[in-house]
Amino acid sequence: MTMLRNLLLVLLIFFSFNQNTFSQSSKDIKLEDLFGDLKARHIGPAVMSGRINDMETHPTDSKILYAGSAGGGVWKSSDAGTTFIPIFDKYAQSIGAIEIDPNDPDNTIYVGTGETWPRNSVSIGDGLYKTTDAGTTWEKIGFEKSERIANIIVNPNNSKEIYVGVLGALWSDNEQRGVYKSIDGGETWENILYINQSTGSADLAIDPRDPNIIYASMWEFRRTAWSFNSGGSNSALFKSIDGGNSWNKIHNGFPSGKLGRLSIAVSNSNPDVLYTVIEAEKEEEKGLYKSTDRGDSWKQMNNDFGITVRPFYFSRIVVDPKDEDIIIKGGLSGSISKDGGKTFKDLGYMHSDIHDVVFDINNSDIIFAGTDGGVYRSWNKGTTMEIVENLPLSQFYHISVDNETPYNVYGGLQDNGSWYGPSAAPGGITAKHWKPVGQGDGFRVLRHPKKNIIYSEMQGAENVWRYDVENKLIKTIQPLPVAGDEEYRFNWNAPIATSSNKPDRLYIGSQYLHKSENMGDSWEIISPDLTTNDPEKQNQENSGGLSTDNSGAENHTTVFTIAESSLDENVIWVGTDDGNIQVSSDGGNTWTNTIKNVKGVPKNTWVYHIEASSHDSKTAYVVFDGHTSGDMNAYAYKTTDFGKTWKNIIPSNDVYGFVRNIQEDYKDPNLLFLGTEFGLYITINGGDSWSKFRKNMPSVAVHYIDLQKNTNDLVMGTHGRGVIIIDDISPLREINEESLSGKLFFFKKDQFTMRDQSGFSDSFGIETQFVGENPSNAFQLKYLLPKRHTFGKMTLEIQDLDGKTVAKLSPGKSKGINIVHWGYRIKAPKIAKGKTFSFGGFTSPRISAGNYKAVINKGKDIFEKEFEVSYDNSSGLNASDREFQFNTVMKMYNMTQDLAYMVYEIDEITESESVSKRFKERITKLKESLVITTGDNYVGMAKRQLREKMADLYAKIATSYDKPSDNEIDNLMLIEDEFNDAKKELDKLKNRIDLSSISLKSFTDFVNE
Amino acid sequence: MKTISKILIVAILSISPIINAQTVDEIISNYFENTGGIENWEMAEGIKMSGKMIQGEIEIPIEIVQLKNKMMTKITIQGITFKDGVFDGETLWSTNFMTQKAERKNQEEADIIKNDLEQFPDPFLNYKEKGYTVELLGKETVDGTETFKVKLTTKPNIIEGKEVPSISIYFFDSENFVPILMHEEIQMGPGKGLTVEVKMSDYQEVGGLYMPFSLTQGIKGQPGAPIVIDSIELNPSVDDSEFAFPEDQSIE
Repeated sequence: MTMLRNLLLVLLIFFSFNQNTFSQSSKDIKLEDLFGDLKARHIGPAVMSGRINDMETHPTDSKILYAGSAGGGVWKSSDAGTTFIPIFDKYAQSIGAIEIDPNDPDNTIYVGTGETWPRNSVSIGDGLYKTTDAGTTWEKIGFEKSERIANIIVNPNNSKEIYVGVLGALWSDNEQRGVYKSIDGGETWENILYINQSTGSADLAIDPRDPNIIYASMWEFRRTAWSFNSGGSNSALFKSIDGGNSWNKIHNGFPSGKLGRLSIAVSNSNPDVLYTVIEAEKEEEKGLYKSTDRGDSWKQMNNDFGITVRPFYFSRIVVDPKDEDIIIKGGLSGSISKDGGKTFKDLGYMHSDIHDVVFDINNSDIIFAGTDGGVYRSWNKGTTMEIVENLPLSQFYHISVDNETPYNVYGGLQDNGSWYGPSAAPGGITAKHWKPVGQGDGFRVLRHPKKNIIYSEMQGAENVWRYDVENKLIKTIQPLPVAGDEEYRFNWNAPIATSSNKPDRLYIGSQYLHKSENMGDSWEIISPDLTTNDPEKQNQENSGGLSTDNSGAENHTTVFTIAESSLDENVIWVGTDDGNIQVSSDGGNTWTNTIKNVKGVPKNTWVYHIEASSHDSKTAYVVFDGHTSGDMNAYAYKTTDFGKTWKNIIPSNDVYGFVRNIQEDYKDPNLLFLGTEFGLYITINGGDSWSKFRKNMPSVAVHYIDLQKNTNDLVMGTHGRGVIIIDDISPLREINEESLSGKLFFFKKDQFTMRDQSGFSDSFGIETQFVGENPSNAFQLKYLLPKRHTFGKMTLEIQDLDGKTVAKLSPGKSKGINIVHWGYRIKAPKIAKGKTFSFGGFTSPRISAGNYKAVINKGKDIFEKEFEVSYDNSSGLNASDREFQFNTVMKMYNMTQDLAYMVYEIDEITESESVSKRFKERITKLKESLVITTGDNYVGMAKRQLREKMADLYAKIATSYDKPSDNEIDNLMLIEDEFNDAKKELDKLKNRIDLSSISLKSFTDFVNE
Repeated sequence: MKTISKILIVAILSISPIINAQTVDEIISNYFENTGGIENWEMAEGIKMSGKMIQGEIEIPIEIVQLKNKMMTKITIQGITFKDGVFDGETLWSTNFMTQKAERKNQEEADIIKNDLEQFPDPFLNYKEKGYTVELLGKETVDGTETFKVKLTTKPNIIEGKEVPSISIYFFDSENFVPILMHEEIQMGPGKGLTVEVKMSDYQEVGGLYMPFSLTQGIKGQPGAPIVIDSIELNPSVDDSEFAFPEDQSIE
C-alpha cells in the first residue's frame, strides 16, 4: 500500500514537473494554439480589386457564379454576380481553374491551384482540391508539385471521369505536366498526354455530344528571373477520340514553324465548330483559326491586335453557348466577334487585361469578365461593363504606414497604381476612403517621416513621384544618368527607402545605390555596381520567345532592397536580385559583400528583403526567395556582426512556402513575423519554432509587413487580399513559460483613454460594396488562459476599487489570448414602461475617469486586474467640465429610473382589486402625462410625455463630448419641475389609499431585475 | 531516472487509447455519457432557457422555449415583451417592432423550423432513427483546443423552391466530448453562403443533464453576440395558447 502511494506521488511530481517546465519551454510552446482572439481584420481596398484567372458558371442555376483569382482565392456569388464571398481561404490562394461537377453542381466543385497566365509576378499553387459539400470542407486530391493547373473537366455523363490539364512549373523542369485522367472521381490519376519537362497543358476542351472526344493544347514555355520564352517545336494541338487513350496532332491549315501558346474552344450549340488562337513564328500567321469539321482542317480568320496581343497573358477564347458565331477573346481590352471571327470589336470600357469571360447560362446578353482589376458584369453583351464592388483582391507589392491617428496605410499594386487609405474610418473603410498617388504598376509608397509628402513610383522607376499632399504639387524625381554613367538598371519593383535619421534623405537602387539629401531634387551615387553585373542576364530586349515581351518586368542584376539602420545612419544594407548582400558601415564609402558568409542558400538566390534591427546596428535579417529558379524553400537569416556570420533562423523547417518579408518587433527582438507565399508565420523565440497565423488570415502571399509603433498593429500588404491588419500584437511579447504556468494571466497594459472623437458615416452603396473592418475603440481586457474554459461558470465584472459593480461583461473562454471589449459605459437606465420605446432610454452613461478593476470568477478562483481610465485630452475639456457633465448625466439617469419606478407603482396600483374605479381613472390620467400609452414605434408615435422629454435630454447630454450647455440646464430645470410635480401628485394619491394589500418590489430590486 | 522513464512509458500507454482514433459513434456516445446519459436525454420533452443577450451596454432579457414541435423566443425591451420566432406546429410568426403586432412568416420558413425541431432535444440523440447521418471529418483545433469535427446531415429543407441539404458541423472537445463550436452555412437571404458559428461553454448541470450556459453566436470571422443563460428549466409547462398567432390581429 505504501509502495503504491509512493508511486502515485512520484507520478504526481513527475507530471507537475512535466507541466511546468518540460512541455512549456519557449521552444515547445505551441503558439498556434494560443492566438485566441488575436485576429486579422481586412481593410481592402476593393476599389480596384485584383487579377482574376478563371470564371465558372453553375450549369443549371444562373444565380451561382465562381471567380478564381490570381492571388486571392475562390469567390462564390449566389446573387448572379452582385456580391461574392470567399470559400477557399485555408488553401493556396492562386487559382488556375474551377470546375463544377455537372452531375452534382450544388455540392461537388474542383479547384486547381496556381494561376496560368504566367507573368513575372505570378504566385504558385500546390495541387488539385475537391469539395463534395459545396466548399464547407476541401480535400487535396493530388498534383502537389504541379504549380499550375489550367483546366479541369468532369465528364457531363459520369462524375467519376475527370480530365485535368496541368500547365506545370514556370521556372523549372518538372514531370508533373500534361493531361491526366481519373476514372474513380479523383482517387487515382493516369498521365494520358505528356511531352517533356518543359511543355505543359495550356488548354483543354471536350465535345459536349461525345465526351470521348478531347482537345488538348500543349505549350512549351519557361521563365527565368531575367527572361521569358514562349514557344518551341513541342507546342501543338492534339485530339483524342477515345477518351485520351490515343492522340493525334490536328494541324491541317496551321502556321508553319514553331508554335507558342494555343487555346481551344468547342461550340456548345454546334460542336463541329472549333476555335483556336495561335501564337506563331510569323506575325501574319498568328491569330484566330476556325475549324468546322471537328479539327480536321483549319482556316485563319483574324490577326487583329486584340487577338494576337501577349499570347502568354491573353489566350482564352469563349464561344456563346447558344450561337457558334459569337465569340469573345481575352486581351488587353477583350474582343467580341458576332460573325464567326471575321471581325472583332473591343468590349466596353473596363479595367484592361481580360483573362476570362463567361456567358450567363440562360441569357447570352449577360456576360461576366475577369480582368486584372476584378470581375465586371454586362447586361448588353459587353457593350457597357460594371465592376463588382465587393472583391478585395488587391495585389500589393509593398505597404508602409505613417504616424497619424488613425494611421494611414500606403502601398503600390500590381497593375493598379499606388494608393493610401486610413486604417479606420466612421462606419468602416470603403472605396471612397482610398486616394490614388501614382499610375501604372505601383510598388513603394512612402510617407516623408516629418512632412505631408508622399513618394511613389511606377514600374522600373520610370517615374518616381514626390507628391506634396497639402499643396497638391506633383514632381517626378527619378535619378537620371549623367556624363560618364553607365545606363541605370532599375528593377521592375525598384527599391526606395527613407531615413529615420535624416527626414529629407531618400535612397533608390539601380545597380548602384543613389542617395538624395533634399527629397529627390538632386542625387549622388554612393556605391559601385553592387550586383553581379552578369551580362547573360541583361538581354531583356530578346525576351518573350515567339512574341517579344520586353515590358521591363524581367530587368535583372539590380538592387532590390535597401535598409538604413535607425540606430546609425552610416549603416546601410543593400540586397540584390542576383544574390548579393552588401553592407556599408561608413555611409556608403566602402561596401562589403557578405553573401559568402551565408551557408545553405543556392548561389545567386534573390535577396528579397533586408530588415535592419531596431535593437542593434550590427544586427540585420535577410530573407531569400528562390522561386524564380524553381526553389520554393523558405530562407531567413540573421546576423549580429555586420554579416560576418549569418545564422539560419528557420532551423526546424517549419515554414511552408517561400519567404518575401520579415519584420522584427520593436520591443522584443525574439518576436519576428515572416511573410510567406502561403501566409503569415510568427515566432516568439527568434525563429527556433514558427507558427502559422490563421485567425481570419487566408493563406495569401504576404509581400510586405510593417509594424505601427504607436498602436503595435501588424500591417500586411498581401498580393491578392489587400491590406490585412492584426491590431495590437503586444500580448505576443508576454507569452512565455511563466505567463502560461498559472490558471489565468492578465497582460500588462493598464492605461486606457476614452476617445471623444467620432464622425458621420454614410451607407450609400455599402449593400454591394466591400467595407473594411474598423479597429475597436473600446477598452480591451486581455488575458491568457492556458486551457479553454468549457465546464462550470465563468463571469467577468468591471468594479470600482471599492468592489461596486460598474458593468457585467461576457468573458472570453478560449485557450490562449482572450480579448474582451467594453465601451466604458454602465448599463442603460431602467426606463418607465410605456406603450412604445423611449429611444433616448437606450443610451448608457460613460464612466468617469479613474481607477477600476476587472474581476473574473472562474470556478472557485477569482482573478483581479486594476487599470486606469483617463479622458481624451484632445477635446479641450477641463476636470470641472468633465465632473459637471458626469454629475448632470447621472442626475438624469437617476431621475429616469425614479420615474420608471413611479410608473411601476401606478401600474401595480391600477391592477390591484382593492382600489376603486374612480381612483384608477385618476391615477391613469397621471400616468398618461408620464409616459406614452398609445401609438407605435414608427410614424404612429404619440405625443411626447415626461418620460420622452427626460430621456431625450439625458441622451443628448450623455452622448455629447462637451459639458452641458446653459440651454440644456434650463431645459433640465423645466423637466425637473414637471417631474417633482408629478411625484407630489403621486404621493398625494398614494396617501388616499391603503397600499398594504399591494406588494411592491423595492426600488433596488426593480432597477436590477 | 530509470523509474521515471518506466512510469513515463506506462503513462503513455495508458493515455494512448484516448488519443487514438475514435469512431463517430464513440464520440457521440461519450458525449451523451458525459452529459447525463442517453436515458436522461430521452426523457427531455421541452426546455425553457432564461438569460440575457448582451449588445454592448444593453442587456436584453430573453427567454427561449423549445418543445418537441413548438418554439418561441421572448425578448423584453424597456419592459415591453415581444415574441419572436414563434412556431405553433404549423405557423411561424414574429412581432414587428414598429407596430408591435404579430406578422406571419412564409410557409417555407415555417417548414424549416418544423424540420429543425425534429432535432430536439439534441440532434445527435437517436440520430439514425431520425434519418440523419453523421461523419467524422477529422480533428481540428478550436480556441486552441483539439476537437473532433463531426458533420451532421439532417433532413433537407426546401428553400426558394429547391431542395437544399441541411448540414451542420459540430466540434467536440476531444478531452471531454462536449461540443464547443457549431458551424452552419446560411442558406437564404443576403447573407447566403456565409457561415454562422455558435460557441458553447460554461456547461452546467440541469436536472441530470449538462448543458452550455454561455452561447456566442455570430458570423464566422466577425465578433459574435453573447447570450448568457441564467437558468434552464427542463420539461416546463407552457400553455399552447402562448404559441398561437394572435388572431385578433390577422388579416383574412
